Amino acid sequence: MAKLTKHVKLKVFTSQRIQPDGSKVKVCMDCGQFMALLRIYEENSNGKLTFEELSIDNNPEFAKRYDVQRVPTVLFIDDKEREVIRYLAAPQGGEIQPFVQAIFAFAGAPNYYEATIKQNLNRIKPSTIKVMVTNSCPYCPQVATIANLFAIASDGKIRTIIIDITANPDIAQYYDAAGVPYTIVNDQKAISGMVGADVILRSLIGGDIRVQY
Amino acid sequence: MYNIELGMPDPNKIHDMIILGGGPAALGCAIYAARFAMDILVIGKVYGGLIASTHIVENYPAITSVSGPELMEMFRDHINSLNIQYISDEIRSIEKVDDHFVLKSYFGVFKALTVCLATGSERRKLGIPGEEEYTGRGVSYCATCDGPFFTDKVLAVIGGSDSAAKEALFLAKHAKKVYIIYRREEIRAEPINKKRVYENKKIEIINNTNIVEIKGDERGVKAVIFDNDQNFEVDGVFIEIGSDPNSELAKRNGANTNDKGEIIINRKSETNIPGIYAAGDVADSPFKQAITGVSEGVIAAYAAFDYLKNIKIEY
Repeated sequence: MAKLTKHVKLKVFTSQRIQPDGSKVKVCMDCGQFMALLRIYEENSNGKLTFEELSIDNNPEFAKRYDVQRVPTVLFIDDKEREVIRYLAAPQGGEIQPFVQAIFAFAGAPNYYEATIKQNLNRIKPSTIKVMVTNSCPYCPQVATIANLFAIASDGKIRTIIIDITANPDIAQYYDAAGVPYTIVNDQKAISGMVGADVILRSLIGGDIRVQY
Repeated sequence: MYNIELGMPDPNKIHDMIILGGGPAALGCAIYAARFAMDILVIGKVYGGLIASTHIVENYPAITSVSGPELMEMFRDHINSLNIQYISDEIRSIEKVDDHFVLKSYFGVFKALTVCLATGSERRKLGIPGEEEYTGRGVSYCATCDGPFFTDKVLAVIGGSDSAAKEALFLAKHAKKVYIIYRREEIRAEPINKKRVYENKKIEIINNTNIVEIKGDERGVKAVIFDNDQNFEVDGVFIEIGSDPNSELAKRNGANTNDKGEIIINRKSETNIPGIYAAGDVADSPFKQAITGVSEGVIAAYAAFDYLKNIKIEY
């Protein structure tokens, strides 16, 4: 994290409650361990990475402002106050890598998909990519990485939501998802299983990809 | 999977070798080529390939027992230690220009003196009504990915291979009951896995039976229909009936293939096109194992190294 090229600040919503004696307790089971991991990243970033922990109990106005109803939720908000990536998850196992990669790309590290996304940007309407994952799914990290990097390259046109469906089974049930990765573009096109970047981009465009090298 | 520290690949640079694939054959080739100080790039559609979806690997020498995803994490550590760049993408064309190959995807253009095709294979589909409709809603091709969604459910595993037996054994940890539905008399699993299947009280084999349709409703799979018209109630169907080689790109570029669509290679992993090699499940070797794929990949790296010696003076 010390290699980040610019400062990144992410908002992390947890369920930290202040007890009558002034002590703090996290109600959400995953939040404590997840925040401990994020603090390690923060400490090793030479001040380049900050996680702003907000409790949906203590900061309901922020939760409302950012439409946060679940914990933990991590938000990548850009300089223009646009939400780029939302994690409804406490990434563990294989899901850590796309999360860390998203932090680097968000800080301006080279984004492999950027050139093609930019070339096709005027053909993409404001979109949301939802990727349903579990921490043990071998192919989920690749799809999560692609969706995250698409959002970061899209200048605010694409928003990605990574959903751990073990922690959020009601969302899986809502979308009838009984397998991961499960990718939904604009709440319409569900793509089950491992999917390449070109397939997701075609779904966003609604047609063929145009590219000039 | 892209290693940010290694930077973006230079589209004007002519690499010594570009390896297409993300499984053991591709990464075995990459590790050897990197140690030969070859300038390489790995471009794969699926990191880990099919073995990443295998819940247990017990026949990779020196590793007694490991899950597929864990094995591929070990490969990842190895390629990272050698600063090998891996890009998650799919090449759609290869063209010979002067002394090198130009490879294009929708996201990049790359150049290389040699290419190793280790593009693996893709799970074969049954091609029956209901299969596509319920994929991701009860029909699955990956027990490791989707098994945990079927806790205490009744499942069908279609197929009789060693992979099918292993899928059934994994699923039996979660499910209430697992039926292996196989079109022949006796499943073809390795003896050790066959014994485990027979000893597992949750697993039952229905032999000499094909399924002709998968039925369900808006919530997902409800039943499979046998070829004797029997309606057999299950909550999920895991299809494990083998795989087909991802050789379309090779075919379009003139690589010779056999009747299964596998790329024909010689004992040096060479195809009929000078400078193009193939390894692993996409090649015509009779045994489709991680270790044999690695072996073919390694041989491809060696052969390419020799080939490059003849066209480049610095070796």
